[in-house]
Amino acid sequence: MTWELFAVFLGSSIRLATPLLLAGIGEMVSERAGVLNMSIEGMMLTSAFASAVGAWATGDPLIGLLIGIIAVQPVALLQAVLSNTLRANQIVSGIGINILVLGATTLAYREIFGARSRAEIPGLGKIKPPLLGDIPVLGPAVFEQVWLLYLGIALIVLTALVLRYTSIGLAIHAAGAEPKAVDKSGLSVTRIRYGCVLFAGFMASLAGAFLSIGDIHTFTEGMTRGAGYLAIASVIFGKWRVGGTVLACLLFGAATALQFQLPALGVDVPNALLIMLPYLLALLAVGGLVGRQMAPATLGEPFRR
Amino acid sequence: MSTTSGIETASVEPLLSLEAITKRFGSFAALSDVSLELRPGEIHCILGENGAGKSTLCNLIFGVHRPDGGAMRFRGVPFQPSGPADALGHGIAMVHQHFSLVPDMTVVDNVLLGRERGVLNRRQCAAQLEKLAVDYGLPLDPDAKIEDLSVGERQRVEIVKCLIRDPSLFVLDEPTAVLLPDEIAALLDVCRRVASSGRAVVLVTHKLAEIKKIADRVTVLRGGRVVATSATPAADIDALVRAMIQGNVEALDSSAASVLGLAPVPRARRDRSAIVKTEALQIDGLTVRDSQGVTRLDNFTLTVDRGEIVGVAGVEGNGQSELTAVLSGMMAATEGRIHLGEAELTGLAPKAITAAGIGIVPEDRHAVGCVTGMSLAENIYLNRLDEFTRFGFLKRSALQREAAAMMQRFDVRARGPAATFSSLSGGNQQKAVLAREITLPNLTCLVAAQPTRGLDVGAVAAVYDHIRAASARGVAILLVSSELDELLSVADRIVVLYRGRIMGACAADPARREDIGAMMAGHAQEHVQGNVHA
Amino acid sequence: MTALDQTGKAAAPRFRLRPALLVPIAAVGFAALIGLGLIALIGVPVGDAIAAFIDGTVGSAYSIAASINRSIAFALVGFGFVLANRANLTNVGGEGQIAVGGIAATAVALDGHVSGLPLGLAFILPMLAGVVAGALWGAIAAIMKIKAGTNEVISTLLLSFIGVWLLYWCVQSPALLRKPMTSSATLPESLEIPEETKLPLLTGDYSFPLHIGLPIAIVIAVVIAVVLSKTILGLRLRAVGLNPVAANRAGISYARTVIFALAAAGGLGGLAGALMLLGEQYTLKDGFSSGYGFDGLVAGLLARGSVTGVIAAALLFGFMRSGGINMEMVAEVPTALVVVIQGLIVITLAGAALFIERWERK
Repeated sequence: MTWELFAVFLGSSIRLATPLLLAGIGEMVSERAGVLNMSIEGMMLTSAFASAVGAWATGDPLIGLLIGIIAVQPVALLQAVLSNTLRANQIVSGIGINILVLGATTLAYREIFGARSRAEIPGLGKIKPPLLGDIPVLGPAVFEQVWLLYLGIALIVLTALVLRYTSIGLAIHAAGAEPKAVDKSGLSVTRIRYGCVLFAGFMASLAGAFLSIGDIHTFTEGMTRGAGYLAIASVIFGKWRVGGTVLACLLFGAATALQFQLPALGVDVPNALLIMLPYLLALLAVGGLVGRQMAPATLGEPFRR
Repeated sequence: MSTTSGIETASVEPLLSLEAITKRFGSFAALSDVSLELRPGEIHCILGENGAGKSTLCNLIFGVHRPDGGAMRFRGVPFQPSGPADALGHGIAMVHQHFSLVPDMTVVDNVLLGRERGVLNRRQCAAQLEKLAVDYGLPLDPDAKIEDLSVGERQRVEIVKCLIRDPSLFVLDEPTAVLLPDEIAALLDVCRRVASSGRAVVLVTHKLAEIKKIADRVTVLRGGRVVATSATPAADIDALVRAMIQGNVEALDSSAASVLGLAPVPRARRDRSAIVKTEALQIDGLTVRDSQGVTRLDNFTLTVDRGEIVGVAGVEGNGQSELTAVLSGMMAATEGRIHLGEAELTGLAPKAITAAGIGIVPEDRHAVGCVTGMSLAENIYLNRLDEFTRFGFLKRSALQREAAAMMQRFDVRARGPAATFSSLSGGNQQKAVLAREITLPNLTCLVAAQPTRGLDVGAVAAVYDHIRAASARGVAILLVSSELDELLSVADRIVVLYRGRIMGACAADPARREDIGAMMAGHAQEHVQGNVHA
Repeated sequence: MTALDQTGKAAAPRFRLRPALLVPIAAVGFAALIGLGLIALIGVPVGDAIAAFIDGTVGSAYSIAASINRSIAFALVGFGFVLANRANLTNVGGEGQIAVGGIAATAVALDGHVSGLPLGLAFILPMLAGVVAGALWGAIAAIMKIKAGTNEVISTLLLSFIGVWLLYWCVQSPALLRKPMTSSATLPESLEIPEETKLPLLTGDYSFPLHIGLPIAIVIAVVIAVVLSKTILGLRLRAVGLNPVAANRAGISYARTVIFALAAAGGLGGLAGALMLLGEQYTLKDGFSSGYGFDGLVAGLLARGSVTGVIAAALLFGFMRSGGINMEMVAEVPTALVVVIQGLIVITLAGAALFIERWERK
C-alpha cells in the first residue's frame, strides 16, 4: 500500500466514522443516564431528510443543518416522554419511532422529489485546518474534511470535560447507576434523563445531516442503513466511555472504508462481505470483548420513586 | 407513658409536628391518624415491627410520598414537601434504610451529588469532610470508591452526606441493622452529638437496647397507628414492647424475644441428643475469587454434623453471600470441595444439589428465593414442578391441592394457592420458601441465610420452630446470620466470617458474645477455648 | 353476599371489554385515521385510495390468497416473538432469520438429489433446512447472551443486517446461489427451484395460490398456544422470564431455556423464509425478506403475549400490505404509508402499556 492510498484510506475512515462518532457520543450520554435510545437510527434519518430538504429548498446548507437539528427535537422529545414519563419499554418505543420515521421520510421524499430522483443538494463545505492540513500527502487526504467533523470533535471534547468535571456529569452518571440516590439528593432523575435524550437527539441530528448534506449531498430512502445501531454497538464496545466509544467508531469507520479501498488495491474480496464487515465487527465486539458489569446499572429501566 | 395518640404539652416549640397524618397505598392504609412532635435537641425514637409504617412515616417527612390526610407543620408553618429537594431545602436530611449511594463513584462525588452546580470543587469538599471527621468522629477517605467500602463505612458516608448540609432535622431509618456492636455505639454517639447541637434527631428502630440507651422520647407504631408514646422510655420499656407486639413478652418464643433485645439470650441450651456425630455437610478449603480477582471467600473449612445447627456470624458482605451461592450451585468455587455425606457436590448445578438433599433459604428472598410474578403454588413447588406433569402437561389441580396442604402445614396465609406471590406479606413469603426447602424429600442439610430478616416477631418464632424441628429430625443446619443474638439463641456453635476467612469458632454461649463481636470486627481468635463441639 | 351479587361478579369478566384488547384496536383505528389524513394531504382522493386498498386486499381470489400467504410469514415471526418474549427475551432479528431460512431452503431445493425424493420430502427437506438455519441464527444470539451477557436486542439486530447481506452475497456470487451468468445482463438471483420442491397448493389452482403453509401455520399456532398455557415448558419459560436467578436456583436451566426460546423464535423466522421462497417466490432475490421481519415483530408486539393476538395482527398487516401495494400501483399512494401506520401503532401501544397495566389491575 502506498502512502497516498493509506492517506486516502485514513481520510475516508474518518469521514465514514464521523456520523457514528456524533451519534455514538450522544447515545453514550443518554445511556450513561440510563436511557437506551434505540431511536438514534430514526433521529439520524429524520435529520438526514430534513436537512436535505432544507438545504434544497433554501439553497443554503447551513439553514438545512439548522432545520435538521430542529426537526429531530420533537422526535427526541417523543422518545423522552415514552421512556420516562410513560415508562414505556425503551426498546419497543425506539423501534416504533424508527419504523415511523422510515415510513414518514420515504413518504415525504417521494412526495417532494418524486419516485426515483437523485437531485443534487447543496452541501456543507470542507475545511483544511492550518498546520495539519499542510502536511504533505497526508494533509489534504486526511484532514480536509467537512467542517461538521471539526465541530463534532469540539463537542466530543466538551462532553468529556462536562462528564468529568462538572455537577452535570456527576448527575448523569448517578442517574444511570443509582437513580434513587439522585432523587434523594434533591435532583430530578426525570429532568436529567430528558436532557440527555434531547442531547442525544441533537448529536444524532448532526450525524444525520452529515450523512446527507455533509457527505454525499443527496438523500436516499432509508439512507442510515443501520448506522444508528452501529452507534449503539460502538457505545457498548467502548464500555460507555468517551475514549472507547470514539475508538470503536473509528474502527467501524475503517471497516466501512475497506469496501472502497480493497478493490482499489486489487484485493478480490466479495463486496457483500465487505459491506457486512462493520456489522460483523460490531457483533463480535458486543459479544466477545466486553463484560456485562460495565453497563450503567439501570440502563433501560424507567425510574420510579 | 400514655397509650393514646395524645401529645404531651411541652415548653419547647416543636420543629416539626405531624397532625393526624394518613397515608394509603391502594386500599392498604400504611399510616392512619398519626400525630407526633419533633423538638430541637431531642432524640425521638420511632419503635415498631416490620410493616408498622415506620419507613412510610420517614418518607412522608422527606417528601418521597405525600400524605392523603392530615397536616404537617415545620417551625409552625404548614409544610407540604413537594419532593426530597424541598425537604432538603427546609433543612431536613435523612439516612435511608437502604443506602442511596452510587457504588462506582468516590466518597467526595457522592457527597457532592446534588449539592453543587457547575464545575466541581472536589478539594474544598474533601476539606469539609475532614472537618466533619474531627467534629463527629467519622473518618473517611474522600477518594475511596463506595464499592470498596465496608457497610459501616458506607453508612458513615450517608451520615456525612446529611451532616454536610447542616440540617435542623436529622432522620435515620433503621441505621443500626447492618452495623457491628461497636459501630452501633459510635453511631449512637454521633446522634447524641447532633442532638446536643440543637438539632432534632429521629431514630427509627425495632431494637430496645438502643431505645434504653439513647431515646429522649419514644413513639410506638403498630399497624400504621400510634399505639404508645413515652417521655421516659427507659422506665416504660416493658409497656412499650407490649404495645409494639400487642402481646405479652412472656408469651413470646424466648429466642425471638432475645433477638428483639427483650430478654437475655436463653440460658437453657436446647436438647442436643439429636446430634449424631456423623458428618453431613463437609466444606474443605473453599475459596472464591470474583471476576476482578478479589478473594471473597478464603480457605473456608467447616463440618456440620447431622442434627447440628452451626451458625455463621459476621457483618454482611464478608463472604456470606458467596458461601450460600456456592453451596446452592449458583456460583463456582475457585478452589475447595464440598461433600454431603459420601457424595461430592463440588461444581454441581443447582438442580443436582437439590436432588442430593440440600435445601437453601437464600438471603435475598426476592432475587433468588421466589418468582414474585407467579402463583404461591408454583413457588412452593418451584424446584419440583416435574412431579406435577404428565407428558409435559402441567397437572394444575394436583399442584393446587398439594400447595393448599403445605399452606396449612406451614401456616402460610394467602387468598389461596393461586394467589400471586407478590400479594403475600414478607413473613408469609418467607414461610412459603422455607416450606419448599424444608420439605425436600431427602433433606440432609439446610442452609438458611438471614432467614428472619424483615419478619415480625410471630413469623420469626415460626421460622425458628421449623428450623429446630428439622434439626431434631437429624438435618444438618447451617444458619448464616448477621444477628448475633439470633445465632446465640438458635445455633449450637458459631464460626465467625471476616473478609472471607473464618476468624474463629466457639460454642454458641452468650458468655462469649464479646469474643465473637471482636472476631466480627476482624480480631483473630487467639486460641479456641475449649472444645468447639462442647 | 347475595345470589345476585355472585352472578353479577361471575358474569362481569365475560362481557367486559378488556383494555388489553380495547387499546390495540383503538391504536389501529387511530393510526388508520392518521393514514387517511395523510392520503388526503398528499392530494389523492381518499375514496380512490380506499377503493384501491380494498381491491388489493379482497378484490379477487388471488389477492385474498396472496394476503393470507403474507400473513402466514408475519404470524410465524410473531409467534416466535411471543414465545421468546415469555422468557423476557426480545427477538428483533426476524428479518435476518427469514433471509437465512430462504437461503437454506433455496440451497437445498436446488440440490440435484432433493427434487427426486418421494413422499413430499422434496419440499419438506428444504423447509426443514430453513427452520434449522433460522434456529441456528437465533441460537447465536442466545449463546452470546449466556456467555457474554450480550443484550439480545442488539445481537439479533446486528445478525439481521448480516443475514440480509449474506442473502445479497448469495445472489451476487455465481460460486454460491447466483444462476449461471450467460451475459452481463444476467440478474443477480438464483435459478428457479424445481417444480417438485415447490409447496403444493391447497386448491391446485394458481388463481387462488393458498399453499400448505396455511395448515402448517395453524398447527404451529395451536401447539404454541398449548405449550405456553398448559405445559411445564411454558411455565419454565415464564419463570425464567420473571426471575432467571430464582428459576436457576430452582433447577430450571437458564442457559437451556434461553437457547430454546431464541432458537425456536429463529426457527419460526427461518420457516417463514422457507415458506415464502418455496410457496410463492420460487427464486431467491436480494431483498426478498424486506420488511417481513419487522412486520412480524410488530404483530408480535401488538399481540401482547397472545397467540390469537398474533394471528389477528398478522392478518391485519398481511391485508394492509397487499392493499398498500395496490394503492401505490393504482392510486399512487406510496406503500411507505403503511409503514407510517405501523410505526404509529407500535408507539401508541408502547406508550399505553403503563395505562393498560393500571387499568387491568383494577
